[in-house]
Amino acid sequence: MLARVANNLFWMGRYIERSEHLARYLNVNYFSSLDAPNELSQSREFVLRSIMFMASNEVIGAEVNLKEEDVLFNIGLNIKEPYSIIYSFNSAHENARSSRDIISTELFESLNTINHKIKNYNAKSFVKNGLYDFTSMITKSTLELRSKMRGTLLHDELYAVIMLGIYLERALQVTRIINAKCSDAAVERLKYKDSPENGHLWATLLKCVATYDMMRRLYKKTPTKKTTLEFLILNPECPRSIKNCLNQMEKYINILSKHQVVKSNSAAFLIKKLNAEFKYKLIEDIEVDVEGFISGLIDKLVVIGETLGDNYFKITNYPVIKKSSTSKQNQ
Amino acid sequence: MKKTIELPLFSSYEFNSNFYDELFNKNEEVRKIYKTLFKLFSEYSVTEFNSLNNRAKEAFFNNGITFQVYGSDDLQEKIFPFDLFPRIIDNTEWNKIETGVLQRSKALNHFLWDVYHDQKIIKQGIVPLDLISSSENFLSQMVNLDPPEGIYNHISGTDLIKHADGEYYVLEDNIRCPSGVSYVIGNRAAVKHALFGVFNKYNAQTVVDYGANLLEIIESVKPKGVDNPVCVIITPGVYNSAYYEHSFLAKQMGIDLVEGRDLFIQNDFVYKQTIYGPEKVDVIYRRIDDLFIDPLEFRKDSLLGVPGLFSAYKKGNVCLVNAPGTGVADDKAVYTYMPEIIKYYLNEEPILSNVHTYHCSRKNELSYVLDNIDKLVVKPVDESGGYGISIGNKLTKEEIEKVKETVKANPRKYIAQPIMALSTHPTYIEESGSFEPRHVDLRTFTLLGKDKDFVLKGGLSRVALRKGNLVVNSSQGGGSKDTWVLKK
Repeated sequence: MLARVANNLFWMGRYIERSEHLARYLNVNYFSSLDAPNELSQSREFVLRSIMFMASNEVIGAEVNLKEEDVLFNIGLNIKEPYSIIYSFNSAHENARSSRDIISTELFESLNTINHKIKNYNAKSFVKNGLYDFTSMITKSTLELRSKMRGTLLHDELYAVIMLGIYLERALQVTRIINAKCSDAAVERLKYKDSPENGHLWATLLKCVATYDMMRRLYKKTPTKKTTLEFLILNPECPRSIKNCLNQMEKYINILSKHQVVKSNSAAFLIKKLNAEFKYKLIEDIEVDVEGFISGLIDKLVVIGETLGDNYFKITNYPVIKKSSTSKQNQ
Repeated sequence: MKKTIELPLFSSYEFNSNFYDELFNKNEEVRKIYKTLFKLFSEYSVTEFNSLNNRAKEAFFNNGITFQVYGSDDLQEKIFPFDLFPRIIDNTEWNKIETGVLQRSKALNHFLWDVYHDQKIIKQGIVPLDLISSSENFLSQMVNLDPPEGIYNHISGTDLIKHADGEYYVLEDNIRCPSGVSYVIGNRAAVKHALFGVFNKYNAQTVVDYGANLLEIIESVKPKGVDNPVCVIITPGVYNSAYYEHSFLAKQMGIDLVEGRDLFIQNDFVYKQTIYGPEKVDVIYRRIDDLFIDPLEFRKDSLLGVPGLFSAYKKGNVCLVNAPGTGVADDKAVYTYMPEIIKYYLNEEPILSNVHTYHCSRKNELSYVLDNIDKLVVKPVDESGGYGISIGNKLTKEEIEKVKETVKANPRKYIAQPIMALSTHPTYIEESGSFEPRHVDLRTFTLLGKDKDFVLKGGLSRVALRKGNLVVNSSQGGGSKDTWVLKK
């Protein structure tokens, strides 16, 4: 497989996954805030800030007055904002288009049809009353795409590259969503020092990652910070937990690197190393410094992404070398 | 001359006895071969047909069988106009076309070898020297260079028209990078979906085997010493208007679609950059024009090509499909010598006729052309895509004077032909909600390889969508139709 094409497919996977998380976060946060238990978590300002923090990774100062329609438009349909859903999906489509000879006709057709739908979505009706429809359409569409990937692509290194993109992005998005919600919880704690823990907030976090029902089945109790984090970070059976993402990444890097010796600091090495660290981790180890754990995890995932690029997707600008000159190029 | 048919979908069909109508004969009766198909179309209401037509267009759009145009503020995707009424060619008629286009492709291949080697045909006075020496498409770099297995034009696209006399004539040969074959296959898929009830009543030849045959052909011209050649297609990139076709062919053949930046040259061998490092490439089906393939040898500002590629080709380490320099032979001035070229190399009579052509480079013919511009089509010899063509009977007096000046300034650059009466075919016109006759031509696709040749049994029928227009190129607002070649 061409290095350039592999890079496109890796990013196609990442952008599809990103679109899904953005859409669900927007949907769940907005609608769950409508029946939140206290004044703060019900307030528009608070919800909009949380949404902006997760999507754009930027903390908006208290002096800025956020307008609901602007925030929704920017995150949903503003093609000029790199954190928007439309930007993300459009990037997935562009990446797929420049590798359409290698992906299945069925997968490309779905991607293309969905991209047309998003591009032609009416922005006015979206900010007024289309939020639920639009975000649900995105999450359904990404499910359709994943099923086409699983069912219509050869499960070889091409598939492994796409899956590495998907699971790396999922690990990053889930980590960032946890981060955003923990920061909401911290703000709440400042305001309501003596009130009991807000179960609603942790339920929202679980719903943002589509894991609420799974978690209830396993723990049978109202989610707390501790049980929620344990489930989302460490439970290998939860298909959206960090641990599960790492397991999947290890599975697919094994396919990609099956004929290669694993050198230290290669992408394969780094993925296996991080997964090994998680193997004997307890929630108690994380609890002592959640913030530090999260920022350390994000850093490690980013390095893995960069190393994958370096190991497999790089295009070198080789000079033309003639036989007469000495060649140092490895072949 | 005017008559309106009583059926809703044909209410605006105007007959014109100056042209050969492929659906109706002179007595305005449906030709035998179209009877079953016509019955189906005659049963549709306008509303039913519109919805069928829209569904077909939607399928093209969703499948991304599109090209991009710059809109007011962003890139817009468009589908190539497509018509659901297929064109039918019977077996006898097709056999003549098939043997005729194959004969031309073979003769052109011999001609190219000769032009770049001994130039016997010139020395013997059969074609004039200045035909070659003044051609912008003659590549001196190709002189005495032997392409693998002696093949230059592996892929030829021959454009034919059906004249008022019911005979096919060759309009031009395209042997640089002829395009359009993906639409032949796309159109067939669309027609099968829309007209499934009638398709199985016609015994049409399949067109989906093109990719498999193309792969066999390009593998057959592998460089010496290579057993299992690695083949790739090189494209200028996603923004090229034919990108869909490039990716389609790559997918059909299961080979990589590369861009210039994916390849590099080392010690005169070509390598592609894969996820596991460099891998040698043996055959390149290039969809980049000659002058852009290698900035070290041709246009220095080309970012599309691969530096050092031509040197690797010269060494025989890689095969380029088609060979560089083929443009010298699909020049419209060379076209006029095709009957002589076929006789000279193959010792055969041409199976397909040429349209009579006047060379503006010859004094007496030039003066005829200048006196009769209103009755002629004047074409530049080395342009493709329908650019620079003027059709005499559509010009104003001032425009005729302008054409005269242009031709006089550079007579070698122009040829002229009588205005041919391209046949007409029923084409759905959305504005009138009816089929109307529109002019069509036919592009065929011929492949030449080592000990193998292949003509695609079908082709691209290109339609001039504007009423009365004779130029069918897609770059000039033309559309296309599925073409059924019937089995015996």
